[in-house]
Amino acid sequence: MNWIRVRELVRKEFIQLFRDKKNRPLLIVAPLVQLILFGYVVTTDVRDITVGLLDLSRTPESRMLIDAIGGNKTFRITEVIERPVDMDQLLLMRKVNLGVKIPPDFSMKIRKGQTAEVQILADGSMSNMAAVRISYMLTVLEQFNNQVIRELHPVKMSYGKADDRIRTWYNPNLDSRNFYVPGIVAFLIMLLVMLLTSMAIIREKESGTMEQLMVTPLKPLELILGKTIPFILIAQAQMIIVTIFAVFWFDIPLVGSIPLLLVATCLFLLSTLGIGLFISTISATQQEAMMTTFFFILPFFMLSGFVFPVANMPKIVQWLTYLNPLKYFLIIIRGVFLKGTGLEALWPQFAGLLILGLIVFWGSVNLFRKRLD
Amino acid sequence: MASEAVAVQNLVKRYGRFVAVEQISSSVQKGEIFGFLGPNGAGKSTTIRMLCGIITPTSGAGHVAGLDIFTQSEEIKHNIGYMSQKFSLYEDMTPFENIRFYLGIYSVPPEKWKERTHWVLEMTRLENAKHRLTRELPPGWRQRLALGCALLHEPQILFLDEPTSGVDPITRRHFWAFIRQLTTTGVTVFVTTHYMDEAQHCDRVVMINEGKIVVSGPPSRIVQDMFTDRIDADLNDVFIQLMTRNRS
Amino acid sequence: MNLIKIQAISRKEYYHLIRDFRSLYLAFIIPLLLIFLFGYALSLDVDNIQVVVVDHDQTDLSRDLIQKIGASSYFHVIGQVADDRIASRYLDDGMASVALILASGWTANIRADRESQVQILIDGSDPNFAGITRSYLTAFMLRYNQNQLLGFLNRRGMEPIHPPVEGRIRVWFNEDLESRNFIVPGIIAIIIMIVGAMLTSLVVAREYENGTMETIRSLPVPAAEFLIGKAIPYFIIGLIDVLVSILMGQLLFGVVMKSSFWLMILASSLYLGVALSLGLLISSVTKSQLVANQIAVLITYLPSLLLSNFVFPVENMPRILQLVTRIVPATYFIDILNGLYLRNLGLSTLWPSYVILTIMCGALSVLNLIVLKREGL
Repeated sequence: MNWIRVRELVRKEFIQLFRDKKNRPLLIVAPLVQLILFGYVVTTDVRDITVGLLDLSRTPESRMLIDAIGGNKTFRITEVIERPVDMDQLLLMRKVNLGVKIPPDFSMKIRKGQTAEVQILADGSMSNMAAVRISYMLTVLEQFNNQVIRELHPVKMSYGKADDRIRTWYNPNLDSRNFYVPGIVAFLIMLLVMLLTSMAIIREKESGTMEQLMVTPLKPLELILGKTIPFILIAQAQMIIVTIFAVFWFDIPLVGSIPLLLVATCLFLLSTLGIGLFISTISATQQEAMMTTFFFILPFFMLSGFVFPVANMPKIVQWLTYLNPLKYFLIIIRGVFLKGTGLEALWPQFAGLLILGLIVFWGSVNLFRKRLD
Repeated sequence: MASEAVAVQNLVKRYGRFVAVEQISSSVQKGEIFGFLGPNGAGKSTTIRMLCGIITPTSGAGHVAGLDIFTQSEEIKHNIGYMSQKFSLYEDMTPFENIRFYLGIYSVPPEKWKERTHWVLEMTRLENAKHRLTRELPPGWRQRLALGCALLHEPQILFLDEPTSGVDPITRRHFWAFIRQLTTTGVTVFVTTHYMDEAQHCDRVVMINEGKIVVSGPPSRIVQDMFTDRIDADLNDVFIQLMTRNRS
Repeated sequence: MNLIKIQAISRKEYYHLIRDFRSLYLAFIIPLLLIFLFGYALSLDVDNIQVVVVDHDQTDLSRDLIQKIGASSYFHVIGQVADDRIASRYLDDGMASVALILASGWTANIRADRESQVQILIDGSDPNFAGITRSYLTAFMLRYNQNQLLGFLNRRGMEPIHPPVEGRIRVWFNEDLESRNFIVPGIIAIIIMIVGAMLTSLVVAREYENGTMETIRSLPVPAAEFLIGKAIPYFIIGLIDVLVSILMGQLLFGVVMKSSFWLMILASSLYLGVALSLGLLISSVTKSQLVANQIAVLITYLPSLLLSNFVFPVENMPRILQLVTRIVPATYFIDILNGLYLRNLGLSTLWPSYVILTIMCGALSVLNLIVLKREGL
């Protein structure tokens, strides 16, 4: 191993990377744009539920219910309509998320001690959001019931009631941003490292300099080191920049240890660099390399738990996710950021990354060396 | 052995069932310009790449600078320079940066870097262009730079794979004058080409076709042996005669 | 407009495509993979919530509560542990997402007709998941208490009280509340962007990088014919992908389009036109495959995933980004998809989106022509 050779290779790689003006936005602007996009956009929070209201009863009781709905800060009554047909239009045209229909006999039934039916029409097109909206509405109705019962039956009625004290840990306000922003970091690193590593090697192949390098005393291992070290440095720098941005711009809590994050990044890079090397070995042109990168990235992204929870997947697919380095890295990043988890809980993920990384990297290096001969 | 810069016996390279190089035996003396001629696809590049240690021969024996091409390919790389027709330079870097890069890769001791850089820039007459992007330089300049980079570590043997393709005649003449001058310092030059007029510059040539040697010797003698009756014949006629005969 | 020239350019592009199996993979396998993944494996619905239980009370009543939770279709009790700290470690490690803790004396309190606390901890790191979990738990506890109340009245010999109001829920457009029903159609928008914009973003840049642009410039091919010739093979592939997606969605996952098939084809064609012109535009402006690809990801793929009302609702975004979504073509296509697939709407209501897509397609084509003309074609 000759370190001067490695050093000069790394130096050359940096010169080339920053010489091309078109690369600079790729390195700096693209990650930040993506971070901001994801930070602001990717939210599945249910905050502002729009409600269309049809009150056919028009009584004090029905107004009480309307106040209960409108007084809740999650709901916003945006449309008040007169005719039942209009309700269909409201939902069809996506004007409201929920429709509430109070029947004409509403007050009469309540006064008689019977149960009055309130129709809740939900736009189910985004099912996950709809489920939450519906249950919020049911909770409002339940609170309304308790209020009415208390008024109707002044007798003290204390029965053995299970009082659910629900506490949400790690992300008490259920802020989507806290969940997604740390994850983007992982995704960005993966995308950039895989693409840049494979491009750096393909470019040498395309321009014929690879052949030139092979008649020099440069050893395959030195070549691989020289080609990967720049991207390790860039990835770490990105990790730090993006983390700073996440913490200070988006106010994402960083509970855990930063060194642990950097160690995890290194382990994660083992697999991504390995895949980058692999792509460069099996591709002859930049186009091929990009297509191949994309077809690694896509399943990795989908099957990582980034947006779609792994626990929801069928068992077979869940097994497949064990081969996905992004999945481990995401668990680590989210654990460290939100839960402050340490190595004692995250060691299986670290072990997974290490084993996967070693296998992928070792395999790619071997294939790479074999192809060089 | 000591006077031979390159020596090969029965060298064979097969890719599956395709025989790229078949039983080549030859030798190159120290300090001579040795031409390796043949049509496209004759096996010239395969042979030169075997000698440079880029690919391993299937069978046979060979020595470059007294080192075994099977077992000592790494040591060989320290003693040879190589330039291909692509002038493999980093086009998005300046000549200066290219030179520095190859100085490092060839493990030239850092204390000699300044002196070697100066030598190359002088030799290639690129002193004034050293901070321009290589991509912007004319092909002739790039060729000189590529040659300079291949000589940074003062190799004993210089391998040139079709070094003058895509270069104008004047540059080509300068190039050969420089090569000639280089051999006076004891450097051996092994060159492949399919320009027969260039082959005249060689001390000795070998012509190969379909992986086999068809004729070898000093250019003038080859011409005389083939065309005893014609005075105006040249290597071109030899080449055409041999290659067409072989095809039929 | 010369059909033979267009044909020649299309044929050339077709050969490039056919010889490059990776592009073909992107054109055909990725769409299948996406549909399959989304239809089969990826879901935002929550129905398998892992619960860890700490029962300090150990009575029939506490066991009954735990059993009831486990019997619900949403929750899965993975086990009981002895210690609160162990339960919280389950949450830390992600082995369970809900911890249910019953303190000792819980049953005694209930029996004495007092309020009795059930401590519930939810792992909130995934807000979508946690939000839904929390609402399920709330609903579960409401129902549990209702039973308690009825039991109480019964014991006292009082007349049962009817809850004054009951919500009758009707879910429209997606009766079973399955995320698949909106994600599978939405995927068509993503697929078209991948095939249309990502693949074509390389085609003009490739001509520049290989130096063949010079040759084309010297040929008597007007810019319009050059563009149309380049676009046709991708247009055909895109339409095939759309058909395959519609078919797979229907056959494998039962996601059926309710409205007119031809409206769907019209919308897909318009959107494909937008995607293709966008890809070609990026390609001719950047002239570099690497940069073109990155920009294509950045301005076509990501916005159609994120800024289109596909998975992430626009109404939650900051005002400024809501405005940005107005210029993202996918927004309009997703709107049409939603209308055609889930709402059974026709042209009478969806026409604005059709019009906007048409305008976008036309404007981008003109822009393409201007850029190519300036390049001397």
